[in-house]
Amino acid sequence: MKKLFFCSSLLFLVLGMVLTSRQTAMASGSSVMDHILAADEPFDNRTIESAHALPVKTVQAKESYQGGTFRVLARKDSITRFRCSVCHTDKVVQVRDGVLFTHGDIEINHGRGNDKLACIECHDEDDRDFLSDAEGKKIDFDHSYQLCGQCHFRPKRDWLGGAHGKRVTYWAGERVVQNCTNCHSPHAPAFATKMPVTYSLPLDE
Amino acid sequence: MNSSTKEEGQMKTKEILETKSSRRAFMKKLSIAAAAGSAGLVTGGCVSLESSEEMGLKWEEYFKKNYRLMTQEEKDETVARLERLFKLQHNENVQISNQEPQENVLFGYAFNISRCKGYMDCVEACVQENNLDRKAKTQYIRIFEMEPGQLDPTSGDGKYHHEVPVENKFYMGVQCYHCENAPCTKACPTKATWREPDGIIVVDYDWCIGCRYCLAACPYWGRRFNWGEPEVAEEEITKKQHYLGNRMRMKGVMEKCTFCIQRTRQGKLPACAEACPTGSRVFGNLLDPNSEIRYVLKHKKVFRFKEELGTDPKFWYFID
Repeated sequence: MKKLFFCSSLLFLVLGMVLTSRQTAMASGSSVMDHILAADEPFDNRTIESAHALPVKTVQAKESYQGGTFRVLARKDSITRFRCSVCHTDKVVQVRDGVLFTHGDIEINHGRGNDKLACIECHDEDDRDFLSDAEGKKIDFDHSYQLCGQCHFRPKRDWLGGAHGKRVTYWAGERVVQNCTNCHSPHAPAFATKMPVTYSLPLDE
Repeated sequence: MNSSTKEEGQMKTKEILETKSSRRAFMKKLSIAAAAGSAGLVTGGCVSLESSEEMGLKWEEYFKKNYRLMTQEEKDETVARLERLFKLQHNENVQISNQEPQENVLFGYAFNISRCKGYMDCVEACVQENNLDRKAKTQYIRIFEMEPGQLDPTSGDGKYHHEVPVENKFYMGVQCYHCENAPCTKACPTKATWREPDGIIVVDYDWCIGCRYCLAACPYWGRRFNWGEPEVAEEEITKKQHYLGNRMRMKGVMEKCTFCIQRTRQGKLPACAEACPTGSRVFGNLLDPNSEIRYVLKHKKVFRFKEELGTDPKFWYFID
């Protein structure tokens, strides 16, 4: 009788050890990272039908994302006085109209210290409907990332990949991202210091 | 009034006894009859505020199963009942979805600690979207103001209220990390919280008994308890809801971030990610090698909070 009891308790001990060792093996062996890295088949984003086309205006980006295309929010429609060439003509402006026509409300706070940028470092000198990069190549206002990226190449690289900037509304469907100028004012690109919109109470720990 | 409802109740009982049916159907019908009868009793004594329809619905709700054991038909029924109950109680229409997870989708989140400025737009958007209790000021997200070099939010200030960002501080958002190996789901004695196939940890509010074991089990303070009846102004209630997400909770149940299940299962971003003005929040499908979140995991320096616990959270912090 005593022997039987001993045998059975030994059996339970062995069984318990086997079970616990299996559990620890499972816990250490299968991380979510293994699961993630094993998934190398691209997900068909079109399968989620509710992520339909956005109600806002977008344009196809002139660069690629993961080898494919993507779209950015259009910019030109939101510029209040576009087209610039309506005012910027060869016509001589009279001094009394100058107050109306100058961009006196724009304060440039772009660049380090007192070394601020001048207008024509981004805007095309001859054709005011376009921007122009350091080599003088004309750049459309909708594709301003091409201009910003010539100095801010690291944020641009991250933006192309998806680590900087943000997608619009949907994680699924066709990739639509915000343009640089949706978040950063090109004339004063740094984020402002302001009060947070809400506050938190201490947790009941 | 009293006698007529009583008679009606007796008729129903008789009807049930005479027709052959399954046990379940029998219980259901009996419950309706009992509800009608008890409504009659109450109205006999004093004027009841609840209609007998409302009582019947509540009674039927009381006998429903755990969400995971329900058939699609039963899920549709309970959703219809809850919508009708809300209409009766608040005279407002809500749409409660029971949308299932998509195949080949595993949701993941990344948070850029070098971009967050501590504006807390995410916290506010989350409160609005998820119908969080305004009275107790429940928030799923907390933003901590951190000293440089510190990576543990407990060392930071979670109650700051001054102009942000402050020079030489950084901001770290904390919420439910939707662990793959979630301790909270193991602690639950009624199996009222579990991991959905798309990786979201959800709560069946009707099966939660409010024991708060999950709250104690969570090493990240990811769960919130309703100590009182949640209060949300009627005009502020988000009408598009999910059974496992932002539908109205009751007193004494646990709730938590659901990655905005009502939005993300429809392909949308969670409310916090959409509201963030700095782009610090990256959300996407971890099983899609072309997703932004996979780009972050592959190309950025990432870490997870308390990774050594083996909880396997699906929430990464990264720096530029």
